[in-house]
Order: sequence, then structure tokens, then C-alpha cells
Amino acid sequence: MDKKITPLSKLFLLIVFFILYAPIFFLVIFSFNSGETMYDFKGFSLEWYRELFQDTRLLIIVLNTVVVALLSALFSTIIGVLGALAIHQAKKRQTKNSLLSLNNVLIVSPDVIIGASFLILFTMAGIKLGFYSVLLSHIAFSIPIVVLMVLPKLMEMSPTLIDAARDLGASRWNVLTKVIIPFITPGIFAGFFMALTYSFDDFAVTFFVTGNGFSTLSVEIYSLARRGISLNINALSALLFLFTILLVVVYYFITQRNKVNGMGVRKR
Amino acid sequence: MNKLVRFFLVIALASAMLLYAISSLNKSQGYSGGDTLTIYNWGDYIDEDLIKQFEKETNIKVIYETFDSNEAMLTKIEQGGTTYDIAVPSEYMIDKMRHEDLLIPLDPSKLPNLKNIDKRFMDLPFDPKNKYSVPYFWGTVGIVYNPKMLNGKKITSWNDLWDPALRNEILLIDGAREVMGMSLNSLGYSLNDTKRAHLIAAKEKLDTITPNVKAIVGDEIKMLLANEEASVGLVWSGDASEIMSENEDLNYVVPKEGSNLWFDNMVIPKTAKNIEAAHKFINFMLDPKVAAQNTEYVGYSTPNKQALKHMPKEIIKDQRFYPSPELTEKLEVYKNLGKKNLAYYNELFLQFKMHSK
Repeated sequence: MDKKITPLSKLFLLIVFFILYAPIFFLVIFSFNSGETMYDFKGFSLEWYRELFQDTRLLIIVLNTVVVALLSALFSTIIGVLGALAIHQAKKRQTKNSLLSLNNVLIVSPDVIIGASFLILFTMAGIKLGFYSVLLSHIAFSIPIVVLMVLPKLMEMSPTLIDAARDLGASRWNVLTKVIIPFITPGIFAGFFMALTYSFDDFAVTFFVTGNGFSTLSVEIYSLARRGISLNINALSALLFLFTILLVVVYYFITQRNKVNGMGVRKR
Repeated sequence: MNKLVRFFLVIALASAMLLYAISSLNKSQGYSGGDTLTIYNWGDYIDEDLIKQFEKETNIKVIYETFDSNEAMLTKIEQGGTTYDIAVPSEYMIDKMRHEDLLIPLDPSKLPNLKNIDKRFMDLPFDPKNKYSVPYFWGTVGIVYNPKMLNGKKITSWNDLWDPALRNEILLIDGAREVMGMSLNSLGYSLNDTKRAHLIAAKEKLDTITPNVKAIVGDEIKMLLANEEASVGLVWSGDASEIMSENEDLNYVVPKEGSNLWFDNMVIPKTAKNIEAAHKFINFMLDPKVAAQNTEYVGYSTPNKQALKHMPKEIIKDQRFYPSPELTEKLEVYKNLGKKNLAYYNELFLQFKMHSK
């Protein structure tokens, strides 16, 4: 990695970042527009933010979205870690591979199909559409992602580490909690945050399973978009953008801290 | 390990707090328990003050949800699992829902305000005798154009769109029946025509308009026209009124050959839990004053004859949105053409979309 970054590649990087971020900044700037539309900037005002905070319905929807994201990430991380451990423990190579490919199929299969099948499942099982149906489906589609984030960490772990722990008299439980889990913690956090973002921006699956007064942001914005989006959606998006940046920063610091701890154990 | 457990506990605690916040917010809105009514309507299709007024008058709490297409609404209702008491589909969808047995018949004795609806809009082919539906709003399909960009040129008929002077100026809405209908009407055929020869002729005529077509787009057509990205657009009258409120240079016309007449109607789906409240709400919306207020907010045309008395003269005199009886005669409601014919419409429309300039 000693190659120098040429000015050309720097320029390329700059252009890519510009393309990725320009629309977001455009959106954020117009959230301060005192006018009504996205195409002429009339002047600075916080009008749309005020309107946003007065709209309790929209606020409830935002909170719904956050709660579903947090809870689904939490549960899917727990289940996903257990799943990854199970896949890792599998003795036969064939079972391991087939389990892993089943996991991957769920990741690559289109959201629309997953959403439609959840809708059919929930209605057949008699579960009322609403908070629980959304939560369950979010947990379900996040689990494979967590598994995929945790598994490489498990693979990376040297088996001699466990052998050594066993030789020193650690019980199975001790091996799990004192050796394995600390080693894979960065993977678990990565899985958690991936699940969080997945749940946050999922539209296709959620669209099918919302109902009975429960809605999430992506679904609501989509149905608002029909009549041209009002600028309070811009304000909302700006706040969410800020929130996600905050999450990323927090995540960065957590991984930084874990790296220091993790390095001591890792022997490659 | 401890760190992980602590982290997860914090997350769990945060979610619990958020859940509490949501439930208390819900309570402050009165959404939980008691007498509730769930309404499933198009986005931004009601004056929200009216919902508050209804809640105050009847003590029934309203849960308001929105959809963005008839098909999306149908999926939700077909599958059950939801408890929508009122939905507002368009006419062809009502026909379909009626045949699929997804609707509950209305009880006219609970809808005394039904008499306010203009007779012209009752007993139409999609729902004979209005057994299942009550008209909510109606409108037409027509042309929005920008006289300023066209040097004062006027558009009055569908055939004006084929004028070579409009090269690369027209935006079309992405709907098979609307675009095919434009061509059928311009040839003097019915919008519900199913004769193969007529349809092929219409498609061939459409192919000759391609040099004039700038793009075939979805809902963004409103923004594009208001932004003056193009000077002519094929749109629904409701969209037209929105576009014109954003850009006053624009004008709307229902072509003289005739066009489509569409309806959005209130129905009670099979999934309804509170049929009593649903009737109350429908009756409330049919009240002349309420309908007038709602019409002024939404900007579509109201079928409520008595409501017109409570509305500003310049709105009801506007022939673009309340066309003269002679023109109304020429307007046609879409009939359910059946799967085979509809597939043929779609096929021809697809071929037109692929036709290169």
C-alpha cells in the first residue's frame, strides 16, 4: 500500500463524492427555503422545521421508524450471532456450505418478493398488520446480514485459541463469553449497525406489512411523493441525515476502541 | 462481553422509552381504544381540519392512512389483516372490487345527505344504483399548456397535439388508457373501444406523434410542467389545478372531441370494523358546507350540487373544471374492459413507448 495517490485519482474521488453528496446538500438547503417549492429559493426560514414539529402524526411515524430499527437490530443481532456460531460449529463442510448459501439466498432475493411473502404469511397466520408484523419482518431480513458480518470474524479466529482456553480449564460457557464473543465483538457491532441502517431505509418489505394506523417513514414519504413533496419532508430528511451521521461517528469510535482491545488477542 | 451486554441494555432501554413516548403521543391524539374510524385515502386528499371537526362532532377518533395507487390499496384490502373502514378508490377499481366481493353495501337510510349529489354523477356503469359507492371527487383528462411558451397559440382539440410546431414539447402521463384514449378520441372513437382495427389505427396514429413527445413520465409531470421544462402535458384535471396554482402562466383544456371522466368514490371495504362510524363519516363528507370546504382545499371538482352554492363564483364558473353540459355529454367513464382487452391496450401502449423517433 505504498503506492502514491496520483492527482488524477484524487480528482476522481472528489467527483464521486460530489455526485454522492450533492443531491443531499441540495435537499438540505431547500429545507430552509421560505418559499413553497424546490425550484426557487426565496429566502432563509425555519418555517418547515416548525411545521414538522407541530405535525404529531409525522412525529409518531418518525418515532415508529426509530423504534422498529433499534428493536429489530437488537433482536436480529442476537439471533444472527447465535446463527453464525451454529454455522461455524457445523462439523461437515457440506452442511456449513449449504447453510451459508441458504443465508445468502435471503440476502440477494428481491425485497418485493420477501415483502409479498411476508404479507401472505402474516395474513394466513392471522397476525394483524401493524407494529409487530413490521418488526418481525425487519428482524427476519436483518438476520442474514448479521450472520454475514459475524461469520468472517469467527473464521478469522484461530482454533488453537479455544483449545488453549479449554486446556486451561475454561468451561464451555467461559469459552463462549470470555474468548469467542470478545473476539467477534467488532463483527457484532458491524452487524448491529448494518441491521439498523437496513431497517431504517427499507421500503419494499415494509410497504407490504404496514397497516392499521402503523406506518414508517419510507412508506409515508412514498405516498406523499405523489403530489410533489412538501418541503417539511426536506426538513425531516435533513434531520435524519444528521442523525445517521451521528450514528456513523458513534460507530467509528466504538470500533476504534475495540480495535485496541482486539489487537492483543489476534495472532495471525 | 460486558461491554456488549451494556450496549444492548442501553438500546433496549432507549427503545422502551421511545415506545412509551409513542404511546403517550398516541394517547394525546386519542388514537388508542374507544370508538375509532380508519380511513384509507390518497395522499393529501382531504382538508385535515375537517377530520378534526368530525372528531369533535361525533367523538369518534379518526386514524388516517394514505396510499398512492389503486393497486396498492387493493393489495392491502384483498389480503385482510387491516381494518380500513373507508377507502377511496377510482371507478375502475370499484368495479373490480365489486366483482371480487370486497365491498359492503351501503345503507342509504343512514346517508340522508346523499340527495345533495348531482344526479349526473349517480348510477354510473361502474356501480349501478350506487349500491357500494358514493362520489367523492371527479375530474377529466385534458391538456395543460403554456401559452407564453407557445407564443399565444391556443390548444382546443386532441389533434392540435399532432402539430409539427410542437416538436419535442409534449409530456405524457404514463398510463396506457389515458394515452391510448387520447388517440382514440382524436380519431372519433370511444375510449372504451375494443375493436382491434380501431385500436391498431389509434396506435398507428400515436406513432406519428413521437417527434413531439419529450417524455412519458409519472407524477413528476406536475413539477416538470410547473418548471416550464415542457410546454404541453397530458394530465388529469386535479393535477392540472395543482400545476396552475404553482405556475399561473399555464392553462388547462378539456379537448372538444371529448375525453375521460374519472371518479374517486368512498366505499366501505369488507375489512371494516366500524361500519356505523363509516356511514357517519360518509354522510358528514356529503354535507354541503363540508364538501365545499374540502373542495376548496383539494382543488378537484366536487359532485356535490349543494356544495357549489357555498363556493366562490370564480371556481364554479370555471369551465375548465366544471365543463358545460354539452361537453360533459362527450365525456366517458372508463369501463372495465376485461383482462384480455386491457392486456391488448397495454401491449399497444408498450409498443408505442418503444417506437423510436
